[in-house]
Amino acid sequence: MPSQPPLPPLLTPYLSSHPDSSLTLVTSILGATSNWLILRFLHSSLASLWAPNPSFGLDESNNGTKKKVVLISFLRGWHFWRTEAKRLGLDLARLADKKQFAFIDGLSDLFNTAQGSRSPANPTPARPGIPQRTTLPVRGPPGAVPARGPPTAQIPSAGAPEGTTDKGVAQTLSFSGRGVAALDALENEILAVIAQLKISAEDGEEILLVIDQPDFLLAATGPSMDIGATEMAEWITGLQQNVHATVITLAADSPLIHNASTSGIQGSTPIEGEHAAFAIGLAHRARSVMQLRTLETGAATDVSGVLRISRGGGWSSGPEDNLDEKELLYYIQRDGGVRVFGRGES
Amino acid sequence: MVAVNLSHRRTHNLLLISKLLSLRDTTSPLTLLVDSLEQPATPLIQEYIRRANLSKVHVTLVAFETLKCPEGCDAFISTRRKSPADIVKEASRAYQPASTGPPKRRLILIDAINPLLTSRRVDSSFSLPAFFGALSTPSTSAKLETSLVVAYHHDVPGSAPSNLYAPSQFSMLTYLATTMITLHSFSHILAQKAARDRSLAAPVFGLEEEQEGVLLGRLDKLSGTGAAEGIVLELEHRRRSGRGVLEWYLLPPASRYSARQVKEVVTLLDDNVLYNPPVEADDADEEPTSTFDLGLTERQRRDREGVVLPYFDAQNGDGPGEGGRILYDMGEEDDFDEEEDEI
Repeated sequence: MPSQPPLPPLLTPYLSSHPDSSLTLVTSILGATSNWLILRFLHSSLASLWAPNPSFGLDESNNGTKKKVVLISFLRGWHFWRTEAKRLGLDLARLADKKQFAFIDGLSDLFNTAQGSRSPANPTPARPGIPQRTTLPVRGPPGAVPARGPPTAQIPSAGAPEGTTDKGVAQTLSFSGRGVAALDALENEILAVIAQLKISAEDGEEILLVIDQPDFLLAATGPSMDIGATEMAEWITGLQQNVHATVITLAADSPLIHNASTSGIQGSTPIEGEHAAFAIGLAHRARSVMQLRTLETGAATDVSGVLRISRGGGWSSGPEDNLDEKELLYYIQRDGGVRVFGRGES
Repeated sequence: MVAVNLSHRRTHNLLLISKLLSLRDTTSPLTLLVDSLEQPATPLIQEYIRRANLSKVHVTLVAFETLKCPEGCDAFISTRRKSPADIVKEASRAYQPASTGPPKRRLILIDAINPLLTSRRVDSSFSLPAFFGALSTPSTSAKLETSLVVAYHHDVPGSAPSNLYAPSQFSMLTYLATTMITLHSFSHILAQKAARDRSLAAPVFGLEEEQEGVLLGRLDKLSGTGAAEGIVLELEHRRRSGRGVLEWYLLPPASRYSARQVKEVVTLLDDNVLYNPPVEADDADEEPTSTFDLGLTERQRRDREGVVLPYFDAQNGDGPGEGGRILYDMGEEDDFDEEEDEI
């Protein structure tokens, strides 16, 4: 198969235009993940900076506005994003050095209380026994785990967070305490990174914030730690206020959405209720919602899934915002290239 | 009968929606907008703001979702990390009319009440009626007529009530509201009507499809509906007398009229051509053509009705063999045949 341009032409208008303080929601299900789409968001914002003469016809899509990107990932580590971006021709580590890009690791040490205890905002002392149980398996290629090493061994307990774990990781998030205070601590850590990028920002440079699967944070804490959908949504509002535009990915698998939204909160478990409230609430705020799903007719050899782009509740019907609703098919090739086409086309 | 009814509704109910949307005479102190992902309330809120600006009403937006102050808003209150009491305080501080002069009007918009209902920071002593009451009563002595317009996302699951015997928060809102407007997408209403007209099950959209990975089903070009733009408003207005008014309206998209237009833009849904296609001109009189005249003249019809059928006669009980005669009054064009008509 011929290699594909990094940005599918059909998607370019959706990937590159982000009005001020807009929210783009990307929902995925187990069989149709959103990684490739996030990588294309990164590419459309960063590629022209990285390669001075792009050969893919990206010049018109960027509209002359330069962007910086902050990526917060809760489900995938730095190694994964760096490797995958490289396949698209994007060197994230170099961009991080040039302060065009910052990666915030929400996976490795999120519940590692050994590091969390250094936080002054921590109201409860670190509980022994917790780290062993809550250390998360690192997703990604098998080689990633030994290369990173066990987090506790690498990170000094005094904890200088900046760049100690991995070159290119601007910040490693750690969750401590409970309730809104804990979320505030996370927010401050993220805002510090955003502020650093802002210092070096030139005129007209905008910051795009990409949050990969914050629903994991909600699922891992939940009502027992006084964090619900409303608190998470407020946390996201706080981050949104400090950046130009935001892209959020969420899981929209059927049990997480439909159990609570159809049978009511009584018939569902807390995680179903909170997740549904969080996801649907964000869709109400989003300018556009990009929904990924598998084909209803089953697996196909030349189609990976369906991408539906809809206007969210936050879309303003003004003449300046023309967002076409579309349903497209996509196919991820073995080399990581993605082909996007309409139904009936090839 | 139907036509009279429709013209009556046209006069009264269009006046009512015009009053409600333009906040005249405080017809409705608390309006609840029930929306869903399939038809968000944003365009209707913009319409409220547009009309308020035209009639110089002070607009306050209490923002639970909105980040930026939209055009036309006079005061913008962000609610992040604020308690309900703080929100009320800030809202009353946002507009201080002069205590003399004619009574001022004020519109307080809440873009989504859901976060407030499910927030964990709100303690159990919080009561929705008190919150709305505090928002709409002016703190100063100035004459102020406040209208509250509250949007509620119907599809966002709420939290379970702490007291199992208490009504759900949505029920509470519906009890409190003096007007409820439920929003529907016009193209969906058309698709559902088309299905109903064929006695098919009405289609569902978005979350109700319960299809994995689908949050929103709204695609502009729905097959068979054409470019049906606009919002259908299902209005339930409770009058002070207690009588309720139910009506369906259509609000056209904002691009169809100018921002300064004073004339009413909302129409009845029944008046819409797409929803209620005009019946073809009455050619229904046509009958099968033949050389016979199959119709009846007036006199023939009267005569036919005058015939007493034999079984009525049989019920008189004149004895065996007596009932069941065919009684026939001869007309002038009948000619008597002795042999055949012998009884």
